[in-house]
Amino acid sequence: MDEKTLDEIISRYDSPSGRLLGILSDIQNEERYIPRESLEMLSGKLNVHLSQLYSLVTFYSFFSLEPVGDHRITVCMGTACHVKGAGEILRNLEELLGFPVGITEEKREPVTTDDNAFTLEIARCFGACSIAPVLRVDNNLYGYAKPEALPTILKEYGWRRDED
Amino acid sequence: MKTELPVGIINRENSGLKKLKPDIPRITVGLATCGAAVGGTAIYERLRESIQKRNPDLSLVPTGCIGYCREEPIVTVAHPGKPLVLLNRVSVKDCDDILNAVLSGTVPHDKALCRIEEWDHLMGHNITYGRGFDEIPLYDEIPFFGQQKKVILRDAGIINPEDIDEFLAVGGYSAAYNALRNMEPDTVLEEVEKSGLRGRGGAGFPAGLKWRITKEKKSDKKYIICNADEGDPGAYMNRNEMESDPHMLIEGMILGAYAIGTDEGLIYIRAEYPLAIRRLKHAIAEARELGILGENIFGTDFSFDIQIATGAGAFVCGESTALVASIEGRTGRPHPRPPRLTDSGLWGKPTDLNNVETWCNVPVIIKNGSEWYRNIGAEKNSGTKVFSLVGDVEKVGLVEVPLGTTLKRIVFDIGNGGADGKAVKAVQTGGPSGGCIPLRLFDTTVDFESLNAIGSIMGSGGIVVMDEDTNMVDIARYFISFATGESCGKCIPCREGLKHTLILLNRILAGKGTAEDLDTLKSLSETIAATSLCGLGQTAPNPVLTTLEYFRGEYDSLVKL
Amino acid sequence: MTDNTVCSTEELLKKSSEDVTVIINGREYPAKKGEVMLGVAIREGIEIPHLCYEASLSPYGACRLCMVEKRCRDRSEMVTSCTLRAEDGLEVVTDSPEILRHRRMILELYLAEAPKSEVIKSLAARYGVTKTRFFKKTDKDDPLGNKCILCGLCVRVCNEIIGAGVISFVNRGPYTVVSTPFSGENSDCLGCKACVSVCPTHAIVTGDSGDERIMKSWGETKVKMRECPVCGNYYLPDLLAEKVYAKINPPLSKNIQEMCPKCRSRNIAIKEISASSNRR
Repeated sequence: MDEKTLDEIISRYDSPSGRLLGILSDIQNEERYIPRESLEMLSGKLNVHLSQLYSLVTFYSFFSLEPVGDHRITVCMGTACHVKGAGEILRNLEELLGFPVGITEEKREPVTTDDNAFTLEIARCFGACSIAPVLRVDNNLYGYAKPEALPTILKEYGWRRDED
Repeated sequence: MKTELPVGIINRENSGLKKLKPDIPRITVGLATCGAAVGGTAIYERLRESIQKRNPDLSLVPTGCIGYCREEPIVTVAHPGKPLVLLNRVSVKDCDDILNAVLSGTVPHDKALCRIEEWDHLMGHNITYGRGFDEIPLYDEIPFFGQQKKVILRDAGIINPEDIDEFLAVGGYSAAYNALRNMEPDTVLEEVEKSGLRGRGGAGFPAGLKWRITKEKKSDKKYIICNADEGDPGAYMNRNEMESDPHMLIEGMILGAYAIGTDEGLIYIRAEYPLAIRRLKHAIAEARELGILGENIFGTDFSFDIQIATGAGAFVCGESTALVASIEGRTGRPHPRPPRLTDSGLWGKPTDLNNVETWCNVPVIIKNGSEWYRNIGAEKNSGTKVFSLVGDVEKVGLVEVPLGTTLKRIVFDIGNGGADGKAVKAVQTGGPSGGCIPLRLFDTTVDFESLNAIGSIMGSGGIVVMDEDTNMVDIARYFISFATGESCGKCIPCREGLKHTLILLNRILAGKGTAEDLDTLKSLSETIAATSLCGLGQTAPNPVLTTLEYFRGEYDSLVKL
Repeated sequence: MTDNTVCSTEELLKKSSEDVTVIINGREYPAKKGEVMLGVAIREGIEIPHLCYEASLSPYGACRLCMVEKRCRDRSEMVTSCTLRAEDGLEVVTDSPEILRHRRMILELYLAEAPKSEVIKSLAARYGVTKTRFFKKTDKDDPLGNKCILCGLCVRVCNEIIGAGVISFVNRGPYTVVSTPFSGENSDCLGCKACVSVCPTHAIVTGDSGDERIMKSWGETKVKMRECPVCGNYYLPDLLAEKVYAKINPPLSKNIQEMCPKCRSRNIAIKEISASSNRR
């Protein structure tokens, strides 16, 4: 992120309340992750210790320090989704995307495919419990998700089965 | 005293009434997050395109969610002078049929769920739609709707949440207007105290008392905050309240700010709710434009504005001190209380923090009076509560009932029991801090004290139904896994204790546990509950402790005795 | 600031003048209104185990070992004594069966979290806890040698007292660690070792080598040391010296300032002696 963009983001916040998390969220939205250089630049501009910023981005699960793939798939693991089979959805997605099954829950961090096309992660609750199980790809929410429908959903985002 | 709204606002109110009851047919599509996700957006777009092409005389409007989530997408049709008709489980391919029917003066009967002849928005404004379509059941005849009492959700799914005119047309902001013009701040505060309103975030602390404590603190600056960090998995009532009726929340906060005496309010909302954030921002801008927020509201001396602060994915930030830390740009690690927020809150200033639904209760209390409000609900538990009834229940949705309603009524009479004909085994209330309640205790009334008495809590109002196929040990494991991942890591019982609880539960579920493990599980849970720093750790073992108590057999059958 | 604002015990004692009587384990003790009960107990020699308390820092309440039972009429409540403020007639019990039961469980958790810490082992042994039922942490690459209990003293002293902000909590929940940003070197470090001196479990590893102080646990951060022009020993980190000497008013003369403390005292003593012999 260049200095001008960062200055513009900082200028959006005139009140101290909610400022720091707001700026970090805007960086994350812009870059899809938080680059180390942006964090260092921000530390200098706001006169906040880098250690404090680093503490923030590692505490809040919304932030990622690693670049994420072109498409971000988030599986909701809320209670209703759990009861309605979110675990199976997650395992199927891991298999389809070529990850070791179980890695997302084990690592509790987003995992990204080698070609950088997809990032898979879990979320606590989207609050869309009535249409559980739910997954989100980029900004699109899919309710009543079924394992057999996953390939169709993934294909919308350019995924191809290996043998295809 | 008669209250005459300013001409500008009256004009907007009239314009809103014309939008709600136009001279032409009005079609609405439920576009809250869940409705939009199961096809609402596509339906709305399809209808919009067709209307553009055919250019007929009718209005198409997005609304929020009426709460019958299982029947979504929901589309409503209102012909002038006829009842408002709800169409359920609409799909894109139904759109042409709907338009054709509407253009020929009727509705697609095969898609009709029920009809509404008249609707009371509780703010002195009834909307009478009209009569007709008698073969379609009345709203009250649908068991899911008929046994509810809509106070907070009175506008949800009916008005356009992105149009302040419609909110004004159903009496919105009239309570704030009257209060600011004709009531002393103390009188507003007394009304809230007398109403018996208790915090809807879970703990049930009297809202009026919290307001008074904040008001009586001497300080050059005070804040009010709305806790919209609805984090309990399985609970989404706050999301719907904000997405479907954002102005109701703003009006509640204006009244609170006036009573307490502050000019600055914040809404702390989780990043997982982008639509609610968008609608709130839009509503705040609309209110500012009409002079309902900002300097000299309604031409009075009173000034107040609201800004939005977003979270970044941390359940613990629902805890009050962590929430404030998060707004101040720190990690959400709670600090011991006292000092409470009312003494030293945001930026060290006295701060009143209430949940979304608590704020939403205020306008209707001020409009109709504390006595009216106290007549709803139960002793010491006045008013209604919105619950999200989800999981293995047939009729999934948002359910608003008076406090003191039994679980049985909610799960069986309203929810119609287990999904797919399966038997209900338990419910889990209160999110990860709550407990699992077995079927035999379903006569328990849902109020703050009764739920506590059986080891659970109200929480923010999630009710997750579990059927006979559910493994309760796995459910306990699920909640502990959630709490472990969301622990802030500050104090050892929560940080390490929950981690080892999870390890124990995994071992038991893998069939490798022993009877001693069960003893360790119990005593470890007790220590975590007794010694954790904040509410997250103190309540996190509840799912383990309640399943150990009510479903002990399932544990025993898994371990080598 | 309101009266209830968090402030350290030392600050509070300066402000408070009201004498009160508190009751600990059935006996009366004098205290200042508002001081923390753990402080009273320490002064009076009453044993309450604690790992995250430091009088000059604001109360933190994380180690949970100092919990006591606060008695109020026929009710009792468990609270941390490091955050409990003295008021007249306040009654606490420090070793009820309930307290001891939870304390032992917490010590078991500490034994699993910091299995290499001798301090934890002997503290646990004092309460009869010699082994743990829980999985012990065994991280071969842990820069804190499997001794850190996340009491936060180092983080707080670095931020609140020194103001250097070198280290912070990283991650959350059971994955929390204390570290520098990106676990690397941090040029903000003054090399003051305040973190080392407050660490209750001696987890932080440092080493001086030539003109460098190496903060091994903090991403191997290297800090340049100042050389004494007289004896040639490296005795003080450069950055710390600049910070400290900037605060001395009137400033020391340059040649005195550059000496190590030993040489400096010798130098001053010699001067004094020669001055007094001249006077005579």
